[in-house]
Amino acid sequence: MNEIDPRDDRRGPEDTAVLSELNRLVDELDPPPADLVDRVKFAIALESLDVEVARWERAGSFAGVRGGQTGTITFTVDNLTLMVNFTSTGSRHRIDGWLVPAGEHEVEVRVADHQSSCTRADDGGRFVLPDVPTGTTQILVHLVNSRGEPGRTVVTPTIML
Amino acid sequence: MDELHTADDRPPWDGLEGTERHAMCVAAAREGNRNALDVLVTELTPLLWHVARGQGLDRAAAEDVVQTVWLAFLKNIENINEPKALVGYLVVTTRREARRTWTPNKRETHLSDEYAEQLESDTGLPEDVTLQDDRDRRLWLAFGRLTTRCQELLRLTVLAGRAEYRAVAEALAMPHGSIGPTRGRCLTLLRNYLETEGGSR
Repeated sequence: MNEIDPRDDRRGPEDTAVLSELNRLVDELDPPPADLVDRVKFAIALESLDVEVARWERAGSFAGVRGGQTGTITFTVDNLTLMVNFTSTGSRHRIDGWLVPAGEHEVEVRVADHQSSCTRADDGGRFVLPDVPTGTTQILVHLVNSRGEPGRTVVTPTIML
Repeated sequence: MDELHTADDRPPWDGLEGTERHAMCVAAAREGNRNALDVLVTELTPLLWHVARGQGLDRAAAEDVVQTVWLAFLKNIENINEPKALVGYLVVTTRREARRTWTPNKRETHLSDEYAEQLESDTGLPEDVTLQDDRDRRLWLAFGRLTTRCQELLRLTVLAGRAEYRAVAEALAMPHGSIGPTRGRCLTLLRNYLETEGGSR
């Protein structure tokens, strides 16, 4: 039935044997990271499910900010860009952010096993959270319109800080 | 976290398997049951991981793609017309997301099937593993030498062979009739590489 299903394969036992070895090796040698399921669970444990996902725009390299480095990450969704700079202050972080287009949006930083840190961007779209704990981190931007009324919520995937 | 169910309640998906179980979890999640979402994430994340890796993403990028797919799923959970086709929907979404992520410098150029067919895979299968078994080691090296296209096809073949992932087959938007011959070529290459690895080491 399914051409992709090896059980429908008529190419002989040799292929089947190689495929079953491969089946085992894929699990043994390339398993998902041990904490991936927990990170996803944390990322989706949101008050509202009606969220837009901002994607991580990698410049030049796949390697992201991992393991306490300092660096800038850009996330984009539709016409909103979120640039975030992380500076390590020992065991915690300072976060400087910039939203384009600018707006006095509410910014929430969730860190696993800690309380959220919240602030509001200024009319230039800039925001600062000077003291954020280290850990699995996710940024939420609760957008407001020019009259200050709440609109969409934008969320990022989690990053490890 | 979930106040709708006490500890004594058996969740509605209890005892179900495969697509029936996923469909029940989607229905419960729509009603606000967060445990149902966690069940889906726990059981299907490994599949999405292998789909993303099969597209040639490195491990860090694959992690982000899997997260993005689940976050996007939250918003679309109301719009999934056939909860029984959940696995197919997630596989298709993961492939699309992986292709859009695939290369940051050529973001406008999505990874096409034609290009993937040619592409030497250089995304680094884990090499820092010690394989006791020489045959395992040679097979893994040979697999790593295949094109991204072949690696994906063989990974998905392997996944589709697991009963709970049969829907993977239906999710693949390949022209009918092209999977068998292409996979045959990939397997022939794999066996050739396997013999080469054996001869040179």
